[in-house]
Amino acid sequence: MQFLNNYSNRELNIWAELILSLLVSFYFFPKIFPLIINDQLYSEALVDIVITSIIIAIIYSIFVFGAINTLTKREEKDERDYIYELKSYRISNIIFHVSIYLLISLIVFNPINQVRLNEFTAPMIAMILPIITLLSSIGKCLTQLFNYRKNI
Amino acid sequence: MTQAELAEKASVTRQTIIALEAQKYSPSLELAFRIAKVFDVPLEDIFQYN
Repeated sequence: MQFLNNYSNRELNIWAELILSLLVSFYFFPKIFPLIINDQLYSEALVDIVITSIIIAIIYSIFVFGAINTLTKREEKDERDYIYELKSYRISNIIFHVSIYLLISLIVFNPINQVRLNEFTAPMIAMILPIITLLSSIGKCLTQLFNYRKNI
Repeated sequence: MTQAELAEKASVTRQTIIALEAQKYSPSLELAFRIAKVFDVPLEDIFQYN
């Protein structure tokens, strides 16, 4: 309960969002890469994993976000919240763009590179894109938490 | 007046009032005027430019 007193409702929601992202990714990604067999994605198993991930996210959201909003007082966003949100979206956007450009560069230069990396097949790229989205989401949450904690 | 009361009257969160008191956050002009209005004093009595 001391933890709840030290953090505002908004910070707890951001922590919960961060943990949800990590939880789903720790479940999703280790299971998804073995499904790429001979450059093809085994899609029947993929459907099961995606559905399970969605169910985990829904159950987690109901219990954790429900508990946070029940135990702590919900507050309307003010100008400081919007400023920190904008700052975090900026960082998230930078992470996303840099990652995408890096991926494109690797795909383009891989054939002429002397040290060849793994082949970037369509399923592989399809798996890298959610990782990039996850990284930008984590970047957004961490920036918000840093800004809120910086002012305490 | 408590931080929570001021926050409610100025329509911001208590965390914003804490950050303002600690001089870790510069308010918008609108918020500065709202806080001054709560105390019914001129703006410069509460906020000074350093």
